[in-house]
This record gives sequence, structure tokens and C-alpha cells, in this order.
Amino acid sequence: MNGNTGIIIDVNLSEGFIDRLAPPEEWYLRYVGGSGLAAKFFWERGDFDADPLAPEAMLLFMNGPFAGLKLSGTSRSSVAGRSPLTGHWGDSSCGGYFAPELRYAGYDGIVITGRADKPSLILIEDDRISIEDASDFWGRGIEEVNRSLKERYGKNHRTLVIGPAGENLVKYAAILNEGHHAFGRAGFGAVMGSKNLKAIVVRATRKEMSLADPDRFAELRGDLNLRIKEALASSVMRENGTAANLEGGAFAGDVPIRNFTSNSWEEMGEALAGSTLTEKYLTRRWQCAYCTIRCKRVVEVPDGPFAIPEGPGPEYETIVSFGALIGSMDLAAACKAGRVCNDFGLDTISAGGSIAWAMEAFERGDLTSKDTGGVELRWGDMETVVETVLRALAFRKGKLGELLAEGSVAAARKIGKDSLAYTCQSKGLEAPMHDPRGGGHGLALTYAMSPRGACHVADPMLFIEMGACYYPEIGLEYELEPKTDEYKPESAVISVALGAIENSACFCQFADREVTIPDWVELFNTVAGYDWDADEMMRSGRRVFHLKRLINYRFGLTAADDALTPRMLEPARDGEPEGVEINFSGMKARFYALMGMDPEKGIALPETLEQHGMTEESSRSW
Amino acid sequence: MEYWKDETEPITAFLKLFEEAKKDEELSNGLKKVNQLIWFDYTENGPDCSFHIDCRGGKIESAAGKPSDTPDLVMSLSADDAHRSWSNKLNPVMAITRRKIRVKGSATGLLKLAPKLKKVAAIYESVLKDLGWQDKILK
Repeated sequence: MNGNTGIIIDVNLSEGFIDRLAPPEEWYLRYVGGSGLAAKFFWERGDFDADPLAPEAMLLFMNGPFAGLKLSGTSRSSVAGRSPLTGHWGDSSCGGYFAPELRYAGYDGIVITGRADKPSLILIEDDRISIEDASDFWGRGIEEVNRSLKERYGKNHRTLVIGPAGENLVKYAAILNEGHHAFGRAGFGAVMGSKNLKAIVVRATRKEMSLADPDRFAELRGDLNLRIKEALASSVMRENGTAANLEGGAFAGDVPIRNFTSNSWEEMGEALAGSTLTEKYLTRRWQCAYCTIRCKRVVEVPDGPFAIPEGPGPEYETIVSFGALIGSMDLAAACKAGRVCNDFGLDTISAGGSIAWAMEAFERGDLTSKDTGGVELRWGDMETVVETVLRALAFRKGKLGELLAEGSVAAARKIGKDSLAYTCQSKGLEAPMHDPRGGGHGLALTYAMSPRGACHVADPMLFIEMGACYYPEIGLEYELEPKTDEYKPESAVISVALGAIENSACFCQFADREVTIPDWVELFNTVAGYDWDADEMMRSGRRVFHLKRLINYRFGLTAADDALTPRMLEPARDGEPEGVEINFSGMKARFYALMGMDPEKGIALPETLEQHGMTEESSRSW
Repeated sequence: MEYWKDETEPITAFLKLFEEAKKDEELSNGLKKVNQLIWFDYTENGPDCSFHIDCRGGKIESAAGKPSDTPDLVMSLSADDAHRSWSNKLNPVMAITRRKIRVKGSATGLLKLAPKLKKVAAIYESVLKDLGWQDKILK
């Protein structure tokens, strides 16, 4: 096989069983890799009745076909399965150093079931795969465990580690690579915790790879790496990180403020901007393997109440989650909160989103000191967030910890009082830090259509509405105005297919903005020999999108679940988007029609599935 | 050119725009923070169709033509697209993506001023009126 290795590690932790699977080559051709291939695996072999935290639940790590090929933006992989936070399909991607190492060791992915009888780790060293005792790491933070693993096995062994949040089955627990790069979303750290799996460690000594056309690929890679390095967006992010344009976003009303109750806070933009982070706290820039963008931050807060030593710094999502969203513009506090989340293994978006909801509930009186065990929740009180709330969450300590460890939706259902209406989520996944009312109405549509729930990286709609995408070869040449619904369903149809390709190929959305459609096709053909044209590539993207929705349908989701909460759809109260209505139902109906989806079931119609070569999947769904 | 009769007209308008913009405290402070020598290169519309601003070291100076020092940032586009841009009628991200604007050098500082484009456009409109070029105002 070219591109992919064709081998998946199969581990059953209950039985201590390790095997190697060779999926049919057709699966790669039709579902690419990453979250697409994971969805196919789950569709074929997953236990749809199993609780996400039961031993039978399947946890999948999958590379894309470009992992390890030294192309900027492709050192990523996906984790997937049934999300403990949402109860349906979930996936999450992560950059860093794990994906290339796994590929060099000879594997495209790892499928894990069962539950170890004691804390364990999976050690992969080329052909040697073993389950090792990890009892001495249990209960310890990610930073310390990552360091200890490297002391035990070697500094070039690459790690995936969960923290106390994963061990305590916090529903939005994350998994970290090298203590810096996160599989943040959808709670797969808790799935690892439920399996008594503290870490996965991989080391390869060989780097052999078979490509369909290595010479042409090398030429294309050279061109793309240069283009990605020299792109304006890359240089801006290299200089000031992923929060480089936070001020612009704040002006447009894209940055959510105090649980999406406001779209305007003038001083906040500069206080939390990437340039401020650079000036005040940046010590070094960092990057995922082989990436020329270097958007990652290493920071130190030398003094003050939120002092932290030099280490991983926050990205845009973390800065806003622990900044504007909870009413703070204290950048040092956001750095500290991000660091604490990294060590405990918490998804910063869901943690920030759940805390923001709780702060509003407390302000309204829907949540009282009695419910929180005496903890007062006030907008912008970062000392309480950092010193009390995050620890309570990660260790499920006290009433507040137990309440918020389940996520904002479960917490709102528990306290009632119509508090679900002001959660900010879709399908149970807390929304990321882009408010569609200011960022773009198309984002409202794609948040709701995303199989895993509200997500800004499931597809490139955020970039499309910004004007950063121009793909005339596949019909994407609209000049869009973000704060209208004009051409948004038409753009979303292309966006969801392209997003499925990005997340199946495991290509970073910052890097791949420089990759044209002909480049994409040529990459797949020179690496994996798929012999695709643009139409066939986009058909694969749509196939992946439809398959994930079929999985959700089997979990009980329907079109009614493609929704945003009242809070996210109410007209903005201030700022640039003030008073503008989002035509959500109109966009949704048009999107369904364009995609050939059933407006009740929320899945592709039989004829649509037929067009995508999904006859078997259709027969199991209709 | 769609909006200009010759290559001197846009430079006259844009230099006057910067003269007026620097009287605004917020824009003036913003430009000083950029701290760069920037060349706005519209030479695709004629060899003399360009101007530069020097915001280095706390000053704001503007003049026609290419600067004698090497610029920190060069923004190359057509004089018509520049007119659309100063009128806040051109999405800069879209223009860069579609190669209507070519950028060389660090644009980080200038990016921080993007939210001020609305204010700049209001000043530009009054500049065009002062020059008797109401017909060039984009609605």
C-alpha cells in the first residue's frame, strides 16, 4: 500500500490481547484516514449499545495518509469514538509529534477496547507492542508523567497522556501529546481513563515509507512548504500565535463575551491579543513536527498571582475561554488557567464554556452557593476559577466539581430553571470561541451540522466567511458578507465536504489554506495513488460526512438535533452585529435540500447514499 | 483605471487621507505603534503611482513615491482596489487570498489597525469631498 501503512494496532485491554489488523484497501480509498477511517471502523466494528465509558466502547486513534511526510501541517492525527460528553459520534484532532512517530513505527492507527485491571500504558517500539504497568503514574499530572515517561523510555519516545480529569472521568477530559498538544474536544481523555489507560508511548527507529510517486511528491512538498511558510497568515501567526487577530475578531463581534451575552468589549481586544502575549509573556515559539508556521507559544508569567514558569502557552481558544467568555481580560490568568488545564487534562473550550454558563446561572440565581458548595461564581473572578473551580472539576470535588464535570448541558438539565436555553452548544458540545452572530452566519449553520457538535474545525466555514478560501475548481468563489445568510448553505455544502477531507487527511486548517484544490488532488495521488480528480475527492469528503451522520442516527439523533441554543441565535445585544437576526431555519432547510438529506431523520436520502457508493450503509439505515 | 483619470490622482487622495488621519489621536497612536516604513505600491497603474508612510520612531511622515530606505512592509495592489480598500469596500482577507493584494514583509502591525478601517473610510470620504471628487465616493 502506498501512503498509508495498511496496518492498524488492535488492543483489547481486558484480555491483554494485541493484534495487527489490515483493513481492506478500499476503506482507505473511500474514507481516506483520520476521522473518516475511524468512522468506517466504528461503523463496521463499534458497539453502538455500549456506554462510552464501558469496557466495550471503542477508542480509535487514526493517522492521515500524509503523516510523517515532512509537509507543514500534516503531523496531526484524530481520536474518535462515542463521546462521553455528548453520547454520540465524537472526534478530535491533535498536532504535535505522535502521528509521524506512529507512522514511522509502521502503523496507521490504534483501536482500543476493554479495560485493564490496573493502570496501564501501551508501549509501541517498532514491531514490539506491549501493555505495561502504569500504576506509579496514576493520579499524577500530565506534565510530570510526560517527563517521567521520557526519563524511563527515552526523550525521543512520543507520548499521549491523560491527567487526573481523565482518570476521574470528567466528560471533557483531554489527551495531551508531549504535554503541549491536545486532543481536546469530546472527552476522549475520560474514555482512556475508563480503560485504565494512562498513556500511549511510541518510538520508531525506521522511517521507511512507500509513496505512489515519490519524485513528484517531493517536488510538490517543496513548493507547498515554501508557500505555507511565506503566506501572510503564517507570518502573522508565527509572530503572534493563533490569537494574532483577536482584536479584529473582537471588533467584528466574533469573540464571545460573558457566555455569549455580549459582542462588544473595546479594551478586551488589545488586552488579550496575541501581540500582547508576545510582548508580555512569550519566551519562545514552538511548532508541530515539520511545520514551518510555528504558531505554538512557550510562555512565562514571571510574577503576580498567576505566575507560571516557562512552558506551553495558550492558543486563541484557551485565551478567550479563560478570558472574554468568563468576563476577564487578564492575560496572565488565561495563561495560568491554560497551564492548569494542560496538567489536569481538561479541554479548555468545554471547561471555559461550562464555567461561563455557571457564572451566568449564578448571576441569575439559578445556581446558588448551596448548589456550588459555597463557591461564589462571579464574572472575571479568575482567582476562584484557577485556584478552586478547575481543581474541583478535574477531581470531581464537591458539589460544584460533580456538577460541572458533566459539562454544561448535563449541569443545566440537573438544575433546570430553563438554564438549558443559555448553554452555548450544539449536540451537547460547548461552542468554540467564535460567535456566529459576529463571525458569520454560515458558522451557525455548520456548528449545527457538524456531526460531533458545535465545532469550528469540523470544516473551514470560519475561513470561508473571512474570505480566506477561494476554490473556483469546486465552485467556491462567492464573495461573502459574514453577517448575512446569502450563499451560506451553498458554501456550507462545499465546506463540510472539504472539512471531512481535512480531518480525514489530518491536515492543519492554518497550513492548508495555501493548498489549492489541484494541490489536494495531486497530494492524494502522488502519496497514496488514489487516482482521484477533484470531483471524486469531494465525493469522498461528503461520504465521510454522511457516514458520521449515519452513526449519529443509530445513536438516536435526528434533524431536530441540528440546532443551536436560543442564546446563540438571539440577536446580538451590542457591538457590530447588534440586532441582526440569523436566518437559521432557512439556511438549514436549503442545506438539507442541497445535500440530499432527509429533513426529519437528518441523514442522507437513499438516493444520495447510492450516489456516494454507500448502498450497504443505506440498507442498514433505511 | 476605473476611478482615476491618471496616476497622480490616487496619490493626491491617499496622501491627503494620511495627513487627515494622523490628526485623529486614535489613528495616530495606532500608526505609531505599527513602527514601520510602509510602501503602498500601485505601480501596476504607472511608475509613479505609489506612496509611503514612515511610522518609525514615533513619527508619521508620508510622501509620494518609493522610500529611499528599504521598506519593512510593501503592499502591492491596483489604485482602484486601494480606493475600494480605503473606502472600506474591499475585504482585505479576500483580496489577499485572491492575490488582489500582495504583501511582502510583516503585516502584523497593520493588521491591528484593520478594525479602524471604518473610521478611516469616513475620513477618506471627507477627503474626497474636500478635493471636489464626490463622484468618486463609493456607496
